Amino acid sequence: MTTLSAQCPSCAAPIEFKAGSSIVVICAFCRSAVARTDRGLEDIGKVAEIVESQSPLKLGLKGVYKDARFELTGRAQIKHELGGVWDEWYATFSNGWVGWLAEAQGRFYLTFYQPLQSALPSFTDLQLGQVVNEIPGQTPLMVQEKGRATTVAADGEIPYKLVPGEQFEYADLAGKQNAFATIDYSIDPPWAFVGSQVTLGEIGLADAKPYEREAKRVTSAAMGCPNCGGPLALNAPDSAMRVTCPNCSSLLDVNEGKLTYLKSLTPPPDAPDFVAPIGAEGTFAGDVKVKIIGATVRSVTFDGVKYFWHEYLLYNPTIGFRWLVHSDNHWNFVEPVNAAEVDQKEIFGAIRKVVYNGTTYKIFQDAPATVEYVKGEFYWRVEQGEIVRAVDYVAAPLMLSQEVSANEVNWSVGTYMTNDDVEKAFGIAGLPKPWGVGPNQPFTGQFYYTWGALPTLALLVVALFMIPFTGLTSTVLNETLTMPSSATPQVQFSQPFEIKGNRNIRISASAAVNNSAADLDVDLINDQSQEIESVSIPISYYQGVEDGESWSEGSTGNDATLSSLPAGKYTLRVEGTTENVPAPLPITLKVEQNVNRGVNFCCAFLILAIVPILGLFRKFSFERSRWRDSMFGSSSSGSDDE
Amino acid sequence: MLKKLYVVFAGGVLLTYSAAAWLGWEVANSGSRSRLGTPFFYTGFRGGK
Repeated sequence: MTTLSAQCPSCAAPIEFKAGSSIVVICAFCRSAVARTDRGLEDIGKVAEIVESQSPLKLGLKGVYKDARFELTGRAQIKHELGGVWDEWYATFSNGWVGWLAEAQGRFYLTFYQPLQSALPSFTDLQLGQVVNEIPGQTPLMVQEKGRATTVAADGEIPYKLVPGEQFEYADLAGKQNAFATIDYSIDPPWAFVGSQVTLGEIGLADAKPYEREAKRVTSAAMGCPNCGGPLALNAPDSAMRVTCPNCSSLLDVNEGKLTYLKSLTPPPDAPDFVAPIGAEGTFAGDVKVKIIGATVRSVTFDGVKYFWHEYLLYNPTIGFRWLVHSDNHWNFVEPVNAAEVDQKEIFGAIRKVVYNGTTYKIFQDAPATVEYVKGEFYWRVEQGEIVRAVDYVAAPLMLSQEVSANEVNWSVGTYMTNDDVEKAFGIAGLPKPWGVGPNQPFTGQFYYTWGALPTLALLVVALFMIPFTGLTSTVLNETLTMPSSATPQVQFSQPFEIKGNRNIRISASAAVNNSAADLDVDLINDQSQEIESVSIPISYYQGVEDGESWSEGSTGNDATLSSLPAGKYTLRVEGTTENVPAPLPITLKVEQNVNRGVNFCCAFLILAIVPILGLFRKFSFERSRWRDSMFGSSSSGSDDE
Repeated sequence: MLKKLYVVFAGGVLLTYSAAAWLGWEVANSGSRSRLGTPFFYTGFRGGK
């Protein structure tokens, strides 16, 4: 790096152009913007001192991007036409690149100058949502914002001719995979700067800490409420545009540290109170500490009934702003989403599904949402009564929300949080229990009909596996006994036969009964131990013709099954009576072992299937409750995660 | 906790089924046991199929 040392043309203080790419250096002593030209050094005007924000970046910070090292050598503060200010940092790379690192609302965008083959659309021709194909890249870039900005302050070395107070037009574009671009209309033809949204970790600045502003915090006295004179302090003074007075509930406009009284606010009488206080600090995913700096009561109206919910604005200087939404005691942690990443699926002329990050979301609600009441501070010009079109799409545990106003379209993704999660995040207890099923509340009983159905499957495998081990059915006795025709019990004995252990036993009896019956009490007698296993086998068969139609009842055979008995020699003792049998009745007796009846299997299957079936029933009921509250009711299930 | 209980319960059912298949136990056992020479008294499920 070649350093050019010189004297400030305004105050003669020493100045240095350390980077070869630097065009302007801000004199640290007199705040003059000193440009180097082919005719020497030129004082192009004084710049204001940088308003310290809570940015984690600072001049001299060194990082790495795509294996190239860089140093932050300059910084400019640009004022948005709506009043906000964002920072642009200039990264001088060791390989000669110059990068623009823009920082707005805790998000970082690293872009580089991109030469173009074709001319860009003019600022007036450029439309919001338009894809600018003139900028080549891996993904189409869509216009997200266009506006007019003013350079208000600068520090260090700037790689272009920064003119203090100069106004210029710009357009911000975004594409998939965090692609980002800016068109700078201060030059003719306009220049495009193309890059991506990055995290500090991705550019080797993960250790950068937010600026400690305690010493410079605007004092309560300095920020007295213009309505009641009461003290108030701002948590994010560099981005706050509206604040409410904690003493008199006035809504105040914030403009460069000056407060202007707008109106007095009263909460709607039927809206529930805020559960979390302004100023509460919590720790969320990724161990990020955030503070509640604002809260709004919003409502939608259906059939003349207002339904309220609360939205808490969370702030952390490193990640910017997030939201915590509290509705029917269900909670969602909401983060902004790059609109270019959302694919909207049009079905019969209406958008019913959107795809974001590989997940399909189904429409849940599409209604005008009204801001009913605000408390705390906000980074936009919030108004009581402000109405936006709010469209929610759900894929539990996520909810993708679109808010459409006259000038912009914003997308955000909410992640469902249980009361336990919120209580843990804020270190509190006793949050009120949720009502009903939340739009994106995940069903937590999925286990019981997914993994929980595995034992039922395992039962089928075990049942099939057991067949070859337990053997096939074998007949151990097949004998016919003749039972005399008698209404008094008659006893007959079979031949002895061998029974094997660990096998079930089926005793079958059949007889040629016709409009008659035989009632048999069969005893299986162990010849060694004299133990008896008794079963009753009634046989009856009746048939006839009634009113021209034939009928029959019963059968000519029946059986009974026993659990295994000790192996050994057995005899059957048959004691029977007959009914309507005119002659001695031959009865065939059969004893079989290893009979696969399926009763055991059916019982086990039913027992194991109860839990998955109940789980599915619960899931169905849960989804029905979820979609009952939807404007687009559908009981189809979402993709839940445990 | 409930999940663990269910897994233990389902494992128990599977084990019982396997043991029944191996040892020839019948859930719907039709018989009643007694000893020759003593009065019959029926203690189990009788007459089922």
